[in-house]
Amino acid sequence: MNGSKQYRPPKWPDKLLSWFCHPKHIDIFRGDVYELYQDRRENGSKLSADLRFFFDILGLCRPYAMKDHRIENSNNISMFKNYFKITYRNLLRQKVYSFLNLSGLAIGLACSILIFLYVQDELSYDRFHEKSDRTYRLLEHFQDEGNGEHSASQPFPAGPTFQSEYSDEVAYAVRLFNFQSPSLALANKESDKAFNESRVFFADSTFLDVFDFKLISGSRETALDNPNSILITTSMARKYFPDEDPLGKFLELQGIHNLKVVGVLEDSPKNAHFQFDFIISFSSLKPWFGGAYPRSWYWNPCWTYVVLEKNVTKDQVESRFPEFVDKYFPGFIKEHVTLELQPLTDIHLYSNLDYEIEANSNIDSIYIFSAIAFFVLLIAAINFINLSTARATKRAREVGVRKSLGSSKSQLIKQYIFESLFMTFLAMVFALIIVAVFLPAFNLLTEKGVSFSFLLQPNQLLLLGGITLVVGLLSGFYPAFVLSSFQTVSVLKGAHLKTSGLNFRKILVTIQFSISICLIIGTIVAINQLQFLMNKDVGFDQENIVMVPVIRSPMGQHYENFKTTALQSPRITSITAVEEIVGAKHQVGNYQFEGMDESKAYARFNMRHDFAKTFDIPIVAGRAYDYNIQTDDSLALVVNETFVKSMNWGSPQDAIGERFYYQGELRGQIVGVVKDYNFVSKHRPIAPLVLTLNSRRGAFNLFIKYVAVKINSADVEASIADIESAWKSVMPNMPFDYFFLDDTLNDSYKAERKLSNVTIIFSVLTILVACLGLFGLATFSVEQRTKEIGVRKVLGISTPQILSLLSKEFLLLILIAFVVAIPVSYLLTQQWLNGFSYRIGIDVWPYIVSGLLTFIVAFLTVAYHSLKASAINPVETLKYE
Amino acid sequence: MKYTQLGEFEELVLLIIGSLGENAYSISIKEEFKRHTKRNPSIGALHSAFNRLEKKGFLESYEGGATNKRGGRSKRFYIITAYGRKALDDSFELRSTLYHSLPQLGLSE
Repeated sequence: MNGSKQYRPPKWPDKLLSWFCHPKHIDIFRGDVYELYQDRRENGSKLSADLRFFFDILGLCRPYAMKDHRIENSNNISMFKNYFKITYRNLLRQKVYSFLNLSGLAIGLACSILIFLYVQDELSYDRFHEKSDRTYRLLEHFQDEGNGEHSASQPFPAGPTFQSEYSDEVAYAVRLFNFQSPSLALANKESDKAFNESRVFFADSTFLDVFDFKLISGSRETALDNPNSILITTSMARKYFPDEDPLGKFLELQGIHNLKVVGVLEDSPKNAHFQFDFIISFSSLKPWFGGAYPRSWYWNPCWTYVVLEKNVTKDQVESRFPEFVDKYFPGFIKEHVTLELQPLTDIHLYSNLDYEIEANSNIDSIYIFSAIAFFVLLIAAINFINLSTARATKRAREVGVRKSLGSSKSQLIKQYIFESLFMTFLAMVFALIIVAVFLPAFNLLTEKGVSFSFLLQPNQLLLLGGITLVVGLLSGFYPAFVLSSFQTVSVLKGAHLKTSGLNFRKILVTIQFSISICLIIGTIVAINQLQFLMNKDVGFDQENIVMVPVIRSPMGQHYENFKTTALQSPRITSITAVEEIVGAKHQVGNYQFEGMDESKAYARFNMRHDFAKTFDIPIVAGRAYDYNIQTDDSLALVVNETFVKSMNWGSPQDAIGERFYYQGELRGQIVGVVKDYNFVSKHRPIAPLVLTLNSRRGAFNLFIKYVAVKINSADVEASIADIESAWKSVMPNMPFDYFFLDDTLNDSYKAERKLSNVTIIFSVLTILVACLGLFGLATFSVEQRTKEIGVRKVLGISTPQILSLLSKEFLLLILIAFVVAIPVSYLLTQQWLNGFSYRIGIDVWPYIVSGLLTFIVAFLTVAYHSLKASAINPVETLKYE
Repeated sequence: MKYTQLGEFEELVLLIIGSLGENAYSISIKEEFKRHTKRNPSIGALHSAFNRLEKKGFLESYEGGATNKRGGRSKRFYIITAYGRKALDDSFELRSTLYHSLPQLGLSE
């Protein structure tokens, strides 16, 4: 090839060759491809030569020519055996350290697993229905200048009309109805078992098409087709028919209506947004409404669910809602009504409307819990990092020996990462044990039924494995880096080691305590807010009030009799009857006052005489309803102060005598104004409210649901016995049932209570874990300075001086953490509180308390070590010098 | 008869190596193969065949003959061993025996 030019082939395929091939082949192979390349360049383009050069090399990379990696591998395996042994020995040798490290990590992991289970369960609501992705609940928003309601339920005709109007888009529609009643009486006459049941629903025959609840016996297709049929759950089958097959047997509803059991359902799943015990066929309702369903488009008591056809989107249907409203809703509310489709799976976490079947959960608490889980885990991981790096000095000699025997830096990093993975794995095992032990208690606290076996599914195990890996790698990385970078010569000489990474560790400790302080502040604020919501200052007396559900009972005929009989007891102070639970719920009514062109919607509350007296609500102007004034029933209204303000009538006195339309004529008058009281929970501000007297007998079918009895606090049991005997004297055959108003009202704040319970527990644990870490750090810092302390003691240092010497550093860190935590927690709690209409202001004292608490706990932790260090005889520490 | 495990490609390579005599190395073998068969084997396939043949004991190799064109790297020359020669003979014998036992189509009748 004399004189001919040398062409340079591209470099990187060549690198591939040397990476892949065994050295004994490389030269020959390379020679061959070079020779071919030169020939091709002489006769062709560079591009084609380059490409063929690459493919030649690719073709040469065959198994027989591969580098032999086996020798290296076998060495690795034996090294891992050695790492394992060293890990094991260190674990046993430094028992305190191992305990702190493992328990901190295990607690952190256990907390996050528990919270993970909780969150997982919350997210699983209503997803078990096969059609859940296209099932929606039909909502009715009825807004008239800020008054009105956001209703989860619909008028009676809405469901069927909706289905026939949109027959192409809607596959199924189902209505649920329960008389808006807290309970209904059911009885098995044959065996004389009668109970008041609260989870009873009337449902269309499509119920089992929309929802995939499991039917254990009976026919799925025809279950609810016939009137007077009822489906019961297995536990109800046991309750009413303990030793017999319930199929074909009869249950009596409200003492008058016989229902045939046509099927047994599995108990309603806990992760469904409504819980039921009985489902009655919808057509059984007809006799209750005089032979046909109510035709009103105003009264909206039916929860209506629709399943859309597969290819239909929510928007497609919703865009046609205005015309639907226009076509069917009555003229006087038409303009104020909008309909909406709410995805079934959103109900549990996002829905907080009027007339929900049950109080739902809240997505905010999911976020808060997840954040707590993350932070607990973060703190535990930081502990691990801190403790591992702090004890690095103890293992410096090992690193020196390994390095001088030829261990490379990457091998050392591998070793320490392996160690941290191993520790994390152990911690995970302990964490799972902790979870298994505490899960029942956690379930009780959060009112859930999560089982441990859920964690043992393959994908959950995979996730746990993933968490172990991530935590292990993250927390092992920094210590591995620090340990492996020691200078061989200096560590072997035993020269004084500068504890490297001290600054980094200080930052980590500061982060830890910032998070802890934030959590404490958050917890205190959450508890305060809960206390504030639950305090009794709601404008009416909620103590010693017994509520007796009476809807659809014969109470209508006997009310006055019952009242007179009961009031004979000295233990009963006052009696009234009300539409909804006072302080929890209200209905909406349309009223037209003088000067208004059309009627407007207001919060409305039906009740009987003595309402203000029983609930101790002050009358600020005018009078309460009077037994002796016949016209009070329809031609008089009592309103609240906010109502007067919203009408711009001036003072409550001026409002008296304002007139309103009754049956088209301006005949009614306002006769009284009551002081504002919280007629719904404190989640909402006080709105204008109309209190109407409803003394008609038929009121007990719909407008009056409870009798409220104010009792004497001295002897509760005897008072209740008195109410019951009065009840039995008028209605001997009806089961008597009651509850205390204050208990029920406390339930309105269930979500907040759950939140504060969980945050208390987890913030305590977080602080515990953080202190474990501090304890470990203090241990090592004292150990490192034993000689210094020895010298100082010889020179006459006092114990308090040692204390301040050792704790100074840590306490400074906590001070910094405190300063960092204040603005962060201020912003976060402020944001959370803004979600409430009634909220506490942010005080200084939660900050002071949390700061002091952390300070004291940290001080005690460090003080323990300082005292231990000061108790050592200096001879012990100095005799080796 | 003992099966010599000589594939078609291997057999051709072995024959070509024999025919090239002293100058049998990868590139010359590649060229020769191409000339006789109109097939253009890749250098990877050839080396893989050399490796197999050498393992079976049909080939021996030695290095030498570095050129500029190869960037100063040596070639690996191959020569047939006696065992390799025998394998070729066996294969030829087997094929011709079988060939002669073919019915003489068309000519005998």
